[in-house]
Amino acid sequence: MKPLNFDAERVGILGAGPFGVALGSMLAGGGRPVTIWSTTASVVDSINRERTCDRLPGHTIPAGLEAVSDLEELVSKARFLVLAVSSESACDRLQTLGRVADTSHIAVHAIGALAPEGDRRISQLIAEETPILRSGVVAGPSMAADIAAGRSTSLVCASEFDEVTRESRRLLSIPSKMRLYRSQDVVGAELASALSGAYTIAVGLADGLEVGIGIRAVLVTRAISEMTLLGTALGGTAKTFSGLAGLGNLLVRSSVEHGRISPSYRLGLDLVKGRAECEGEGMRAAIAGLRLARSQNLSLPILETVVSIGAGEVSAREAALSIFETVTEEE
Amino acid sequence: MPEAKNRLATFNDERSSIVDDVTRRVVGGRLRLAERSPDASLEYVLNEVAFAEIQRLQKSGSRDNKKRLARWHDLAHKLGHMSEFDKRKELESIVRYHAQDIAGNFNPRVFRFATDVLPPALSFLLNPISGFREGVRALGALAEQIRIEGPVDQIQRCCKRGTLVVTPTHSSNLDSIVLGFALNRVGLPPVTYGAGKNLFTNPFMSYFMENLGAYRVDRRMQFGLYKEILKEYSTVLLERGYHSLFFPGGTRARSNMVEAKLKLGLLGTTVSAMVNRSEDSGDEIPRIYIVPVTINYRLVLEAETLIEDYLEETGRSRYIIEDDEFSRLGRIVEFARKTLAHEGAAVLRFGAPLDAFGNPVDAEGESLDNRGHVIDPRGYLRDATGVVQRDAQRDSVYTRVLGRKLSAAYRRDTVLMGTHIVARACLEVAHQRTGIGDILRLMRLSESALAVPVEDLVQAVGQLREAILQQPENGVLDVALTTLTPKEIVDQTLHYMSTYHVKRVLYQSGSHIRVGSMKLLYYYRNRCAHVRFSLSPSESATNEAAR
Repeated sequence: MKPLNFDAERVGILGAGPFGVALGSMLAGGGRPVTIWSTTASVVDSINRERTCDRLPGHTIPAGLEAVSDLEELVSKARFLVLAVSSESACDRLQTLGRVADTSHIAVHAIGALAPEGDRRISQLIAEETPILRSGVVAGPSMAADIAAGRSTSLVCASEFDEVTRESRRLLSIPSKMRLYRSQDVVGAELASALSGAYTIAVGLADGLEVGIGIRAVLVTRAISEMTLLGTALGGTAKTFSGLAGLGNLLVRSSVEHGRISPSYRLGLDLVKGRAECEGEGMRAAIAGLRLARSQNLSLPILETVVSIGAGEVSAREAALSIFETVTEEE
Repeated sequence: MPEAKNRLATFNDERSSIVDDVTRRVVGGRLRLAERSPDASLEYVLNEVAFAEIQRLQKSGSRDNKKRLARWHDLAHKLGHMSEFDKRKELESIVRYHAQDIAGNFNPRVFRFATDVLPPALSFLLNPISGFREGVRALGALAEQIRIEGPVDQIQRCCKRGTLVVTPTHSSNLDSIVLGFALNRVGLPPVTYGAGKNLFTNPFMSYFMENLGAYRVDRRMQFGLYKEILKEYSTVLLERGYHSLFFPGGTRARSNMVEAKLKLGLLGTTVSAMVNRSEDSGDEIPRIYIVPVTINYRLVLEAETLIEDYLEETGRSRYIIEDDEFSRLGRIVEFARKTLAHEGAAVLRFGAPLDAFGNPVDAEGESLDNRGHVIDPRGYLRDATGVVQRDAQRDSVYTRVLGRKLSAAYRRDTVLMGTHIVARACLEVAHQRTGIGDILRLMRLSESALAVPVEDLVQAVGQLREAILQQPENGVLDVALTTLTPKEIVDQTLHYMSTYHVKRVLYQSGSHIRVGSMKLLYYYRNRCAHVRFSLSPSESATNEAAR
């Protein structure tokens, strides 16, 4: 078992979705060598030849980014890996990674959701499916479109290992474009990131019902309070939920800019109109969050309302009337 | 593959070089730190030692301490005027003194005596004999009294390939004797371990400890430098291949709950030793194996003192208990003859060995990831350029990971015995009958108020046994209980519960089981407190509710 001969400066990205391609492009544009892995041959081909990717239309990919379809090639080149796949495919992709990764790799994930099976956090999946121990999460209000457009943005990197946050800051920070904050609260960052998707649906519902900015502000504040209650019961730290991964994520996901709307916010709006298919990471996070809350004997009225509307048990309008009656009196 | 060697046989030849190594490393480390930060200056380090020692000696008030006190007062006064050279000499002298004090000794003759003569003698002692002939027959019966379970073959192979770190749960001061016996019986070499210096005051124990490789841990030493010397001593031993033993629980479990919060200080020396050995290991992977062990007693020698201490919440202040049952030889003999004499009175269960990062290992001792693939654990120590690096923060996280794996192993490998099951079942029935869910509130009821119908207890024992079998992650059912009916378990356990303790834990009075000692009942119940269990309503409870 010989140690792999890595390029210490290279970032390996697993997943050529909008976030992976945008992050890779920003890093490559800043002079960092990047290899991105995709299972889709046409995506690899398009990135390498055309310098475009249909998952990020209209965006030109800089020369420092190469795409590969062989994961073994990626892990032999890059020690520092960013997992940027959907939560549904995370388990499968991590199993593939587990077959080729080495104990010297470092992996951070950028998945703002829990794993579909068993309400597990993605860092738990990394530990279960791969030999990698040094892992972490990057989370926060960085939208793929912002990163691709070169706007200044920030993420928090949380890991128990200082080495992981140090390497994340060294390899993912690009002056004036990407700033990385550090934290040791992995549980909090992962839960905050996942739950903010669930509460984004609630804000979408409120906006769809046109409740007004005052009630919207109350809802956002109470959402953070609920998230914190659940997150701290599960081992997270309170301040993480009012940080980039929690409040930051919720604000950006529930805002509309240049016609761009996050899927969870869109779901909330559509539920008011009664024409939504209740799928997506936000709703899955809501259902998982509620299960976790019940396991802790916690009452989370907003989350419960989102799930009951999603399940068709109550209409959005009925729920809106009841929700503020059930919210706890003490802040 | 080489034979597992008794590495301790050559300990005395290496003793002085071990002390030299420890001294050089600790002093070197402190000098490097002092260069980097004024907060870590030698003056600060020496002042901390002097201050801690003055505090300790002043509290103890012994006459012999006067001289020692004067020495530390003197150091504290002259520290400000000492040259760096003198401070360094002083530091070196303190470190060497403590390293020598910690370092043990190994006498092969005492070891032979202990392994040849002690087990039969112990067996003789353990049997409630009525005549000499029976006593002679009892020789060699220790194997039945202390049952050994677990993947012994795998551990033997690991032992031949690398260094073992045996990490047992800790319930009693008898643990080290039981463990010593078990290691010898399964063909594993003796291990070195840190024993509280207070144990060396018991002359019988002290003789064996002093000569069987135990090193002295003086828990009265409160300064950081002492802990550093202790850890470095352990690291050096592991690097040199001395099989070691730590009790990660730190001290005997006062509550009798399976240890969940572990003290990671000494455990962390396994990663430190891996780092040191990986730096120049070439192609060869250094092998250090953590072997979880649970030591399970049907009855615990010091149960009364331990639970009393736990309930009085003085556990912290009485970290060292010097006046418990273990300090009274008569009580040990009584315990041995009345309880350990029974077949299966103690079960020592080895768990599957782990590497220093908490990964499982295969039959040959190769590290595996969670999916069973062979991995090179040295990768965990490499930086981006592939070089093995020292990183205290990283290693502390690895040790936490290892600690979590060990805690899970303790739960999984805890052998749940009749006393634990009957005690838990009894309190569950009491909870159901009184409606009081809080166990400490329940304990405040008078013992006579907690009479439980025999049939309810039997039913609860049956249900709890099923629950245990459904939760392999939370323990193993004592094999002796698998063929008994719940009624037989209750009857047998009631008998055991009346044999040793001053007060009977539980006893039968007519059609009811009554509590003789609520504290002991709570103590034994705690061993299986982590098992998920809710009692189905019994017939009598339903009838009572209907009335």
